[in-house]
Amino acid sequence: MKYVLSILLAAICWQLGMATNVQSRLFINRGQIEAIDSTQFAYLAFNNSSVFHRNNSLIRLQKGDSLIVKVINNDTVNHTFSCQGQLPITNALNPGDSATYRFYFNNAGLFIYSVSNPLMRYLGLGGMISVETKSHAHFFWNIKEHNKAWNDTIAKGYAVNWANYYPDFFLINGNSNPKINQDPVARVTAQVGDTIYICISNTGRSIHSLHLHGYHGTITYSSKFPSHQGREKDTFPLYPMESLIIRLIPDKPGKYPVHDHNLVAVTGGNYYPNGMFLTLLVQ
Amino acid sequence: MKKLITIGLLISTLTGSSQVNTFLIARNTGQYPLYNGDTIRVFGFTERLKDEVNIPGPTLYYNEGDSVTIDLWNVSQGAPHTIHLHGLDVDQANDGVPHLSFDVAHMDHGFYRFKAPHAGTYLYHCHVVSTLHVQAGMYGLIIIRPPNGSFNTWAGGHAYHSEQNWMTSEVDTNWHKDGVLNHNHNIGGGIMRVEIPEYRPQHFLVNGLSEQQLTDSSTALLSSVNEEVYLRIANIGYYGNTFHFPSSYHARIVSSDGRPLPQLERSDSLRVFPGERYGVLLKAISEFIDSVALDYFNLNTAAVVNTQWIPAQVAGFFSTPELETTPLSVYPNPATDDIRINTSDFKPSNWQLMNAQGRLYNVTVNAVADGIYELNLAELAPGLYYLNAIGRNQIKGAAIIKK
Repeated sequence: MKYVLSILLAAICWQLGMATNVQSRLFINRGQIEAIDSTQFAYLAFNNSSVFHRNNSLIRLQKGDSLIVKVINNDTVNHTFSCQGQLPITNALNPGDSATYRFYFNNAGLFIYSVSNPLMRYLGLGGMISVETKSHAHFFWNIKEHNKAWNDTIAKGYAVNWANYYPDFFLINGNSNPKINQDPVARVTAQVGDTIYICISNTGRSIHSLHLHGYHGTITYSSKFPSHQGREKDTFPLYPMESLIIRLIPDKPGKYPVHDHNLVAVTGGNYYPNGMFLTLLVQ
Repeated sequence: MKKLITIGLLISTLTGSSQVNTFLIARNTGQYPLYNGDTIRVFGFTERLKDEVNIPGPTLYYNEGDSVTIDLWNVSQGAPHTIHLHGLDVDQANDGVPHLSFDVAHMDHGFYRFKAPHAGTYLYHCHVVSTLHVQAGMYGLIIIRPPNGSFNTWAGGHAYHSEQNWMTSEVDTNWHKDGVLNHNHNIGGGIMRVEIPEYRPQHFLVNGLSEQQLTDSSTALLSSVNEEVYLRIANIGYYGNTFHFPSSYHARIVSSDGRPLPQLERSDSLRVFPGERYGVLLKAISEFIDSVALDYFNLNTAAVVNTQWIPAQVAGFFSTPELETTPLSVYPNPATDDIRINTSDFKPSNWQLMNAQGRLYNVTVNAVADGIYELNLAELAPGLYYLNAIGRNQIKGAAIIKK
């Protein structure tokens, strides 16, 4: 009953344009993930419980909301939480420690939360905060790439030479083709004529160039190039730590792939098509 | 019935649209020469069986509104192939992705049907094990002009006088070995195991050419003062590109991915990522000789790994027919010592030799026969030079590589 009342209150506040406080918990978890070739490698993720899961938690807010987030360091090393568009946090969290942060989001858009250490971010710690104004369907793609052996090397505390970085495993929301098509947050399912928003953040280290089959989409938000808003395109490059929102209004039914057009990124461990490749379903 | 046909023809005439049939042959056994004399095995598309496989494949031209049928005949003696119509937003059946539409087995035909959409620049490429087949050479440009076929960027868009196409890609020669190209394949697509080496390209191409080959007229940017040139750029490689245009071109970026940009962007540099296309208008108000620098950068490290220099020359004045620049016949090219120049159809009164930075050199050109001249390059440093033969009513030019 309490839960229902909270949802009702939030809905009323949203309808009235009133800001609400959104509470979230993020556990920094360490674990292993498996690639299509059955190799396993070290990985870190922000999860909403202390159980490791390969996908970072997604946080959704309405414009004007406050986010009250409790970060619990469930890992074995220190981490310093960070969030795009917010003042930097200087205090590190020791293993087992937790801290609560409050962030205000007065502008709509897509923001990456992470940690200040880029090596730990590379190991997987990077998620999305979506600050929305529209009630249309939204889909979310958190894209990353990894060199599997390097994940293990960095996780053990050894150095790598980034000048030689060559990733061999490519992910959307922690999964690759074909598993990614089972993720309802990622897989676009829509009807002809629907207006949908595809929210993409690149939390990896490489530049990715996502190509949409079947449709052109319109850029409604770019964290790096605000002047690109309004461009109608079928291929969308994303720099590391860049976020894009694309509006798509499908004009015909069908199953259409979307994939990185650096075609090395649609492979994984000598398997094809793997990596950053998923299929839109329009009915 | 007769009336219906007449009405149909009338509509077709009024809109300028028509039925266009294209025939392409998919091949697996091409041999492609690189700038350094090496030859690699390539896959590709040709229009006739007797044609050699070229990189890129034939450029396909249509007008907006055309009803197009592409007949793909696979004579690969191996893997199935498809045509993905990149950016044309065709329906699923014609999208060319094997497991979602169809693939074409050896000795089969496949038919792709679509209505040419917005005027703009598009790509076609094979989508069977696309990582390997695109690198192998199975790609080309599709150019769609406005419904009336005019030289406008799109219907009602910017008018231009001439156009140049640059399709960029890279070659890693290790990917062109039989052990990689003769990969596993299964009709109908689906996930499969294939050997994919690390991608470390050694060759960086524009229209399939690189280094001294870029002086070729299919790639070099040759125009006149006040001539509006529409440059269509497409990146089918796996690296990023940065183009640096000489400021004298006053470059204006007007379109991307087959659509006009909401705002024209004035910039002397442009980044183009894999799968993207851009349209750039170039217009010079004075003569110059320069080059467009094209950086290829690794998307994983952001490091520029190669720069190609595309010759760019503005000579003569557009719409002034008596002052016309045409290619000059020079051989051998590249050369180390003497070159011969054939000007049998006009008599030069003056000669001009410049390097890529515009430095002029004193040269002596000797007549050795009627219409045949000789120039010695032995004293020049290796590099790119531009030679102009200046006649009373004509200038003829050539880019020369000194080895």
